[in-house]
Amino acid sequence: MSAPLVRVEGVSKSFGTFRAVEAVDLEIRRGELFCLLGGSGCGKSTLLRMLAGFERPSSGRITIDGQDMTGVPPHARDVNMMFQSYALFPHMSVARNVGYGLRRAGASRAETAARVDEMLALVQMTHLAGRRPDQLSGGQRQRVALARALARGPKLLLLDEPLGALDRKLREETQLELKKIQARTGVTFVVVTHDQDEAMTLGDRLGVMDAGRIVQIGTPREVYEFPQTRFVADFIGTVNLFQGRIAEDADSHAEIDCPEAGERIRIPHAVTGTVGQAVSVALRPEKISIGRAAGTAPNRMQGRVGDVVYHGGATVFHVDLDTGKRVRVSRANSARTEAEAIGAGERVVLGFAGEAAVVLPA
Amino acid sequence: MRRLASLPPLLWLGLFFLVPFLVVAKISLSEPAIAQPPYLPLWDWADGVLSVTLDFGNYLFLATDPLYLASYLSSVKIAAISTLLTLALGYPMAYAIARAPAGRRNLLLMLVILPFWTSFLLRVYAWIGLLKANGPINGFLLATGLIDQPIVILQTDWAVYLGIVYTYLPFMILPLYATLSRLERDLLEAAADLGARPAATFLTVTLPLSMPGIVAGSMLVFIPAVGEYVIPALLGGPDTLMIGSVLWNEFFLNRDWPVASAVAIVMIAVLALPIALLRRIQAREEEEA
Repeated sequence: MSAPLVRVEGVSKSFGTFRAVEAVDLEIRRGELFCLLGGSGCGKSTLLRMLAGFERPSSGRITIDGQDMTGVPPHARDVNMMFQSYALFPHMSVARNVGYGLRRAGASRAETAARVDEMLALVQMTHLAGRRPDQLSGGQRQRVALARALARGPKLLLLDEPLGALDRKLREETQLELKKIQARTGVTFVVVTHDQDEAMTLGDRLGVMDAGRIVQIGTPREVYEFPQTRFVADFIGTVNLFQGRIAEDADSHAEIDCPEAGERIRIPHAVTGTVGQAVSVALRPEKISIGRAAGTAPNRMQGRVGDVVYHGGATVFHVDLDTGKRVRVSRANSARTEAEAIGAGERVVLGFAGEAAVVLPA
Repeated sequence: MRRLASLPPLLWLGLFFLVPFLVVAKISLSEPAIAQPPYLPLWDWADGVLSVTLDFGNYLFLATDPLYLASYLSSVKIAAISTLLTLALGYPMAYAIARAPAGRRNLLLMLVILPFWTSFLLRVYAWIGLLKANGPINGFLLATGLIDQPIVILQTDWAVYLGIVYTYLPFMILPLYATLSRLERDLLEAAADLGARPAATFLTVTLPLSMPGIVAGSMLVFIPAVGEYVIPALLGGPDTLMIGSVLWNEFFLNRDWPVASAVAIVMIAVLALPIALLRRIQAREEEEA
């Protein structure tokens, strides 16, 4: 495998006493679409702005394509950014906006015009080349901003909440289109988003950030199915978390003493930790089965259905366990009608396989 | 409701601009006379006959005596140069205020407006004291050895420029500040991100986007400067030719109200034409966009 395009080594950034980014190490591979995911104020935008050169790291080092970026101003970096506000120049036409970076790089009028046409065709905006930004819809502006950021053919494209201003339907369409454009141009993308669905859809890999640190890096599946901390498990998707202690830990199996779940949770593999240590057990709602009678699942919990929420694609049961703990269970609605649907107030048995449970540090 | 809201400004303009303007226009078409008031009525009603006399002689007189044309041109020149100087001085100040930390901006704006707390006349008089041959400015320059004899500033056009720039600077800074403070940081960063050095960012983004402020500020300085009377009267010399003093002389020294009125009407035309032209150009540009 070739060397990573971007290397972030021990980068921290403080604003006064506030530590926005804390000792981040990160490698971004050539040609990948990397998503930085986190809540507001987690430092993801600050990290992006350091890659663009708008902020200087307080400590640490960023190299892009082997070149140390310390002290290199934004205009001298082979990196372009698509702003959350799009930041289109309001006094210029779409074509002049897209051509702006090319003209600054010293391209001739003819070269610029040809490249602008190519970029506008890429984002399907050729017919609106003469418009001004205030005559465009939100989705059209987003396309122009993308075309402008790609026009110079940067090594690295940074996208700050690129779809944040679009409504939901348009957003889903645009996510897939963005992926296609990324694949076609081969440019390395770093996308900042607070939306986990967006990060899962877009990203080849995700970096989850919390309080200035990167807490986990992996593919969407790795991050969803194998979260390494409670925060990641809770942040990505919905999860049921149980408090417990390691009761038994062998090579082939482990048991977690978990009063909240009613009985010991049996897991068919070893866990990290020592017997007696407090842990959290994370269980995704779709990995729990629900029925009136006990099934064959090795782990079971008893309870009563509190609320039933119909989401269309799936139904979510909020079940009050006999232990007092509330658990969410989701079931795909694979049939249009259900003769014996489970309703609120009914007693149910929940079941799950041992490998579905993720044991995390408490 | 919207019509009702526009009524007060219309009423104000009607009472305090249109009516006086019509009165002045009427006088400008009257024949001068040694009387009280010093002109003849425009119309006369006698024996069922209405006779209206419009005397365009006052305007013809303005065209024949080169003094008036020279005064108009000189006024426009002085006002234009002063406006450019005010812009050159005001733009960096407005820019610095707009870029200052939020907490300090109001203080800086206060400082810009502060001179208005003293009488305008007093401040212009103060400049006489500062600029005269044995004043502190010449004293300082002599003491530092930069000059070996006092330089003459007072009673030259330079003193008039200085007076106008000094007096009207706030009118330039405030509208410039208003547009510059609305300039989004994202746009400047986007320009830098796309490879523009700071100078290129200024020329291609900041300057074009602050054009409304430049136009507004320049109008606020240029228009009153053309008709300025006090500053050239106090700081200017005998060679400083401005239409304001010509008007004063016609009105108070020659007591020729009709010619004074004609001078005023032509001055309005001189000012209104370029403004109307500018607005036409702006409207056309917006249509094209």
